[in-house]
Amino acid sequence: MANKKLTIALFSGSVDKLTAAGVILGGAAAEDMDVEIFVLLQAAFAFKKENAMTNDRVAEITDKKDDFLASLERLNAPHWTEAFRTAKEMTNVKIHICGFAGKVWHGEKLDDFIDLADDICGIGEYMTAAEESDINLFI
Amino acid sequence: MSTEELATMKADKTVDARGTSCPGPLLAAKKAIGEIQKGQIMEVLSADEGTKRDIPKWCKKKGFEYLGTVEESGFFKIFLRK
Repeated sequence: MANKKLTIALFSGSVDKLTAAGVILGGAAAEDMDVEIFVLLQAAFAFKKENAMTNDRVAEITDKKDDFLASLERLNAPHWTEAFRTAKEMTNVKIHICGFAGKVWHGEKLDDFIDLADDICGIGEYMTAAEESDINLFI
Repeated sequence: MSTEELATMKADKTVDARGTSCPGPLLAAKKAIGEIQKGQIMEVLSADEGTKRDIPKWCKKKGFEYLGTVEESGFFKIFLRK
């Protein structure tokens, strides 16, 4: 039986949403799903080499940001980059940087982004992947 | 499997996932299952409530035999057979 396919349109560059994406990837890895992630607009910011580990912006409940970040540490939650990395080790995960999004954040080539990224692509590839998927998410 | 049998069960592999939160325990179980033979017993220790339901469901999907869960103080042990 073929593996189920998951496509994630990853728009968000905030740590709270990226952490959530990491947990979902963990679930997908546990199910041996084939995953394709398309790094869009704000997520491209988070994927830039110089931002990935230092970016601690949160999108929601911003007045409790410190509590949120402290809780992630207290609960031994892996950093989202580590969660993504673990998922890559355990199942098929392809991470594409949307070319346009990359350019918005001054990233012209693959090397401008963290090593988690596999390649730079266009919107056509996202639509194809989405059409062929069992599950489609916009995060 | 009865509670007594579970309580005295000796696992071939123990996965202590008590220091991690979801999806940590599930991924630890998945990693460890590759290290035991078919027919062997694995025990997963966790303090995460979601894990209690996740692992039996995962067993069903993967064709492993879920044997039962033993509640301890502050955590629980899930037994399964590959």
